[in-house]
Amino acid sequence: MKGELRDLKFTVNGRPVELKVKPKTLLMEVLRYDLGLTGTRSGCEVSACGACTINFDGMAVRACSILALQANGHEVVTIEGVADGEKLHPIQQAMVDHGAIECGFCTSGMVMSARALLTENAKPTRDDIKKAIQGNLCADSGYTKYIEAIEIAARKIGGGE
Amino acid sequence: MKDFDYFTPKTAKEAVSLLVQLKGEGKIFAGGQSLLVLMKQNMIAPEAVVDIKGLSELDYIKFDAKKGLTIGALTTHRAIEKSPVIQKNYPVLSEMEDNLAWVQTRNYGTIGGNVCHGEPAGDPSAVFIALDAKLKLLGEKGERITACEDFYKDTLEVDLKDDEILTEIQVPAVLPNTGVAHEKLMFQKGELGIVGAAASITINPASGVCEGARIALSNVASTPFRAKGAEKALIGKTIDDKVLEAAAEAASKEVSPPSDVHGSEEYRREMTKVFVKRVVRKALDRAKAKS
Amino acid sequence: MSETFGNFSVLGKPIRRVDAKAKVTGQAKYAADTEVANMLWGFVKRSPHPHARILNIDTSKAERLPGVKAITTGKDFGGFKWGWSNPTRDEEPLAVNKVRYLYEGVAAVAAIDKDIAEEACDLIEVEYEPLPGVFDPFEAMKEGAPLVHDNRPGNITVEYHWNFGDAEKALANSHLVRKDTFQTPRMAKGYIEPPAVVAYWPDPNRLVYIGAKGSPYFPYRILSRCFNLPLSNVRIIAPFIGCDFGGTKNDMTNGDFSAVMLAKKAGRPVKIVSSQFDALTTDLRRHPMWITMTTGVTKDGIITAIHNEIVSDGGAYTRMSPLTHFLTGICMGMPYHLPNFKHDVACYFTNNPSSAAMRGHGIYHTAFARECQMDMIADELGIDRVEIRLRNVIKNPEPGTIYETINGAHIATAGTEECLKKVSAAVKWGETKKREKVKGNKAYGLGFATGCYLSGTQLSAHNACAAIVRVCEDGSVNYLTGATDVGMGSDTVGSAIVAEVLGITIDDVDIKRVDTAFTPADPGSYGSRVTVLAGEAAINAAEDAKHQLREFAARKLGAMEDEIVFKDKQVFVKSNRARSMSWDRLVRMACYDAPGRVIIGRGHSKRATDLHTLADFSTGKGDIGTNYSFTAQAVQIEVDTETGVVRCTDDNNVIAHDCGFPLNTQAVETQCLGGSYHQGIAAALYEEFKMDKGLTLNPNFVDYLRPRAYEAPMTEVQHVITNDPFGPFGAKEASEGSTCSAPPALINAIHDATGVWVKDLPAQPEKVYWALKGKKKK
Repeated sequence: MKGELRDLKFTVNGRPVELKVKPKTLLMEVLRYDLGLTGTRSGCEVSACGACTINFDGMAVRACSILALQANGHEVVTIEGVADGEKLHPIQQAMVDHGAIECGFCTSGMVMSARALLTENAKPTRDDIKKAIQGNLCADSGYTKYIEAIEIAARKIGGGE
Repeated sequence: MKDFDYFTPKTAKEAVSLLVQLKGEGKIFAGGQSLLVLMKQNMIAPEAVVDIKGLSELDYIKFDAKKGLTIGALTTHRAIEKSPVIQKNYPVLSEMEDNLAWVQTRNYGTIGGNVCHGEPAGDPSAVFIALDAKLKLLGEKGERITACEDFYKDTLEVDLKDDEILTEIQVPAVLPNTGVAHEKLMFQKGELGIVGAAASITINPASGVCEGARIALSNVASTPFRAKGAEKALIGKTIDDKVLEAAAEAASKEVSPPSDVHGSEEYRREMTKVFVKRVVRKALDRAKAKS
Repeated sequence: MSETFGNFSVLGKPIRRVDAKAKVTGQAKYAADTEVANMLWGFVKRSPHPHARILNIDTSKAERLPGVKAITTGKDFGGFKWGWSNPTRDEEPLAVNKVRYLYEGVAAVAAIDKDIAEEACDLIEVEYEPLPGVFDPFEAMKEGAPLVHDNRPGNITVEYHWNFGDAEKALANSHLVRKDTFQTPRMAKGYIEPPAVVAYWPDPNRLVYIGAKGSPYFPYRILSRCFNLPLSNVRIIAPFIGCDFGGTKNDMTNGDFSAVMLAKKAGRPVKIVSSQFDALTTDLRRHPMWITMTTGVTKDGIITAIHNEIVSDGGAYTRMSPLTHFLTGICMGMPYHLPNFKHDVACYFTNNPSSAAMRGHGIYHTAFARECQMDMIADELGIDRVEIRLRNVIKNPEPGTIYETINGAHIATAGTEECLKKVSAAVKWGETKKREKVKGNKAYGLGFATGCYLSGTQLSAHNACAAIVRVCEDGSVNYLTGATDVGMGSDTVGSAIVAEVLGITIDDVDIKRVDTAFTPADPGSYGSRVTVLAGEAAINAAEDAKHQLREFAARKLGAMEDEIVFKDKQVFVKSNRARSMSWDRLVRMACYDAPGRVIIGRGHSKRATDLHTLADFSTGKGDIGTNYSFTAQAVQIEVDTETGVVRCTDDNNVIAHDCGFPLNTQAVETQCLGGSYHQGIAAALYEEFKMDKGLTLNPNFVDYLRPRAYEAPMTEVQHVITNDPFGPFGAKEASEGSTCSAPPALINAIHDATGVWVKDLPAQPEKVYWALKGKKKK
């Protein structure tokens, strides 16, 4: 039956979640409306802005471009799950300290793309970093300080060199 | 988006059975990176979605020095981009993926989904055509193999029957003295190429004469386009600037590019020349390096 | 980059933004994140015609759809019209008799979910009589052209004709005269956050509006008038805002009015979230302008006169076009000496979505033309491109003196000369200009430009700009301001100013974002006014609070009031540091000293109204700014000469910026980087709405290219300090000048690389390709 509610069981920020959703529901909608995790943001309808970027089994993916039901059995981390309680993740701290953040609307997506990058590649070059956030549109930072902040975070995580 | 019926088959065969049951109303859905954009804008509204993203049986990369490369249809773009086997033996695929959309898209979108979408501006199909790849399709009556270059009928229309799914892409072993390359015209890295070109060039190691050429172009026609005229201009000749120019000229005459906000028909014709030259040069250099 | 300037405790250094943590953890709530109990979803029905009479609207089918709770059409608003100022009120909350641009709103529905609201809109039947339209100003100005507004003959939105000195004579006597036509593109504001609003009525006489508005006191006044409510009962609450850039989030949309009316009719809160498609098809755009500039120079390249003739597309409604076109000329007298100036500008109504303010407002258009002409003139005369600018530049006035431009603008500080020298040195111009430009199919070029921008805009009316500083009894402080941070960092600068004045740390200051029930009025985030004017208000409010504490401290410490110093959370006697007490202790004692005592400081900006003679729109004479910022920029690019693709290189991209004094150095840098790339280079290289008879052909971020990270130049920003006497702690606006310097610097770089001029922006690959071919054909 069209639009029939289906079971959705997955992990969000380390916690198990169980819901019933319509098949056409997007993962972003579940996060924002069912779970109240509004840090994952909607900036376009054509999978181009990256403001909804999350980590899906550790990979950077757009939450607006995944059917929620495809998350069944998978691990999702959103921006709300990045910090360790009150302690910011080095990526977050670097962005704050370095003055990268302006209006903040793209920030969640930037953090999630950077987090996936640094998990996969501990010593990214500047080129690697630019590629990792090429899918994240910002409208007012010029990207420069985001790129530099991610470099700073990479050095910090890698033990400083 | 409109509501739809939703199925998650556990095997490829089950997916095919569902397609048969749904009598053409079922839409195969993998990573959804192409389909969801259309569905969100209600440009397509399938009655039923057959979600095969979870079919791990179709997620693989296998390589045999003689037989070549086989890629399961549900392999993600990112897996292809990062695969050491592919980087070593088919670097053109990894390079092409590096320029395909953005990391987020590549992490989740599948090569099969891309190939079956039938976007004439798409990169993988051009590269696969240059590599003379074959596609393995599974339907109610069993499997069939078709050449990638025969798969494209029109914009967003491919030779996939109502009961068929793509299961595997088979890329033959690259012949010795063959170089393959892909180049595309991008204003911003990752965008759909204003035009794109893939070429496979085989040269005679002794004489340097071009013995084989396969040139496939993107965004210059209603489907990925094999520039046979350009190929003809190269085969049997030693490729120098003059020969390249002739091949490029031939290519620009045989294409029928679209006009849109990214480029006019005339500009795309000009860029066809530029990119045929660039990609053939690169493939040729690679072929020579191997000799 | 992280230098410290001046001798301040808080200011003049990199200051972490007060809201950065909320944003980086995803905790920050934007308008679309607002959830209120019992909320309905709203959706706007839009016209499928760019120009049509509305004959009839039948909502009966929509009313019957289960889940629909309220419907509104234009008639509900009783003939209300609004606009930027009294004489320009030509727009309705929802179109009543006529639609004037494609997708203009004609009705709206509130329902229990978004799908039902959208479906209901499809069920509303609207009968239209399509009318012939005009789609560019050249069509609009023709004799007998269809009128967008029946009462506006000739489709003229606004026009100005100014004259200073004798430009005609000066041009006739010039050694060289250049006349060139340039074109600036139709651009989106480009914010990633589409507008959103939640509106509700706690009771029939009180309205609460939570929306992404950069100038919340606009809807405050407009909604008060529209719904006949006293201002005291209109509560506009500002959530975090994802950029504004001067339009739409500065101004009203069909969705705003609809949400309020639907909430009234349904008796429940209504939320309307625009899609990015809505934003890219209906939100305000930057005016496309055709600028013909005639510049005369002496044989040494000194400017004798400039004559501007500008045609502009204002779109369907007036909005703030009068201000935009005034701005195209008002700062023409800077950063170079200009002894004679003639300005003829006309803006036309068309059946396109309305044009309005955008970062770099007005000035960017003529700055582009002028800075390209400077290079053209330099090359014709054989003068170095940096040198010609240095010859013309207004030198930084000696402290205590003022430079007055030909049209009566007063400049106390102008660091352009230093900016130019810094930029030229940073790129080693002497060597760089001699290098080989072509390498295979790549050509390299370096371009320079200066920019200037008004700071602390002075306008007539709505100038009340105030702040309140409330000192809590435990020493923590609330800073209440009407100023709105749309991402530029004004919350941080305001809090930092308060902290500096009170001698405490920024962490001791808690800012209360705009809530018109509690915060004092402020005109809004436009015209680069917030740091300068709201900053001044913050100083005055903090000083007032300090004054109340100082009285008490003087008594307690046995000293005269003017001997009391507040610094590093200590309060002490200047001549004897030992006589001191901690800030916390002082505050506690002061608060408990007398029953009912509270320490609340109030202050407002006097410079907003008292400083200069307000500029006259009809003559172009006077000051538009409290002071003016100056910029110089170098952009280096690589051109693929076979394809026309242009991109910035990694090196030799530098901005030197005179913002008087950088209160938050880090924020000034990021602002300049952003203004240069997302508004400046975006205009020069990437962005243009392509239109077809009112239809936007590229209304999404795939077909309308916004600048991305891979192509971002890692521009270096250098600070130039001039300490302006009219700005708080010497500050002027920061970065809007970079939106004006980047486009010509890039176009000049393309010319440097290839010898080709791309005078109509953007320099997209195909355009550059044909220009190169054209050059070759010669």
